[in-house]
Amino acid sequence: MAKTLLALSARQLLRNSITKPMVIQSAAMSDGSYARKMLGKREIVGYGYNGEPNYVDRVDFPLPAIRWKEPNADILALREKEKGDWKQLSIEEKKALYRASFRQTFAEFKAPTGEWKGTIGMTLVIVSLAIWTFFGLKTFVYPPLPDSFKPENRAAQLRRIIDLQMNPVEGIASKWDYEKDDWKK
Amino acid sequence: MFRTSALRVRSLLQSTAFKSANVRLMSKENTETDEQFDNRFLNFFNDPNIDGWDIRRGITDLWGHDLVPEPKILSAAFHACRRINDLALAIRILEALKDKCGSKVNEIYPWYIQEIRPTLTELGIPTPEELGYDKPELALVDVDDM
Repeated sequence: MAKTLLALSARQLLRNSITKPMVIQSAAMSDGSYARKMLGKREIVGYGYNGEPNYVDRVDFPLPAIRWKEPNADILALREKEKGDWKQLSIEEKKALYRASFRQTFAEFKAPTGEWKGTIGMTLVIVSLAIWTFFGLKTFVYPPLPDSFKPENRAAQLRRIIDLQMNPVEGIASKWDYEKDDWKK
Repeated sequence: MFRTSALRVRSLLQSTAFKSANVRLMSKENTETDEQFDNRFLNFFNDPNIDGWDIRRGITDLWGHDLVPEPKILSAAFHACRRINDLALAIRILEALKDKCGSKVNEIYPWYIQEIRPTLTELGIPTPEELGYDKPELALVDVDDM
């Protein structure tokens, strides 16, 4: 019984694992896909980084799945010119072709944003708030520290520890010279 | 009991999906030599039938490896870009190449440009530096900040 059930469920799992990717793919290819609707008339030129027709500037997947700009008259004219010799194209035309396909150059999307400054600033603001909260609580909420924190009480406590010879082997009493009644030098 | 079930599952796995796909669920030592690797990509990009999708796939495959491809491979890729009339793709590959050089960019990149200079001149492909793309040109807002 259990064996049959296991076999059946395993078969079902396998079938799902085989057919499911196809289902997802066909959803992406149909008109109902969100990415498809956002796409407009942009040309799908590759797989991109995850197989969806989307545009992301990434260093690990430098070639996005779609061109950045929708083709307009200027770009189509340039594409016609692109079919000829590339040496005839001016620098401006080459740049326009690049910007039609890609949004940002590597230098642009890798440029530092300076965001770290704001992050550190906000962190320090929050830390200072916490410190002010601490002092506020100390001033207005907490009772004063108990007497045992006063220096003379602590000295008395220490004297008592020494008198009781606590930790005589390696600890505090072993550092005390009982004959001279002072710390060992 | 458990053993028979496990055996049953194993035979199922072997019989249906994995046997047909010829996938082994284990790592395998790479037996391809560097030369074979280069030739594989060289033949891929030299194939006159590949389109823009294939070039992008080939470059992405190549970029997945921990290496900077040989100049002759990218020369072949640029010729492929020429065949499908996509100049932007060629410029983008050059930029990606510069990024791919990583921390050794000052050693590898100038040498690389020198090696592929004949191809660039022949096809009229500008380097990113000639377009002024080695420095940020536009200060576009990051999509995450919009």
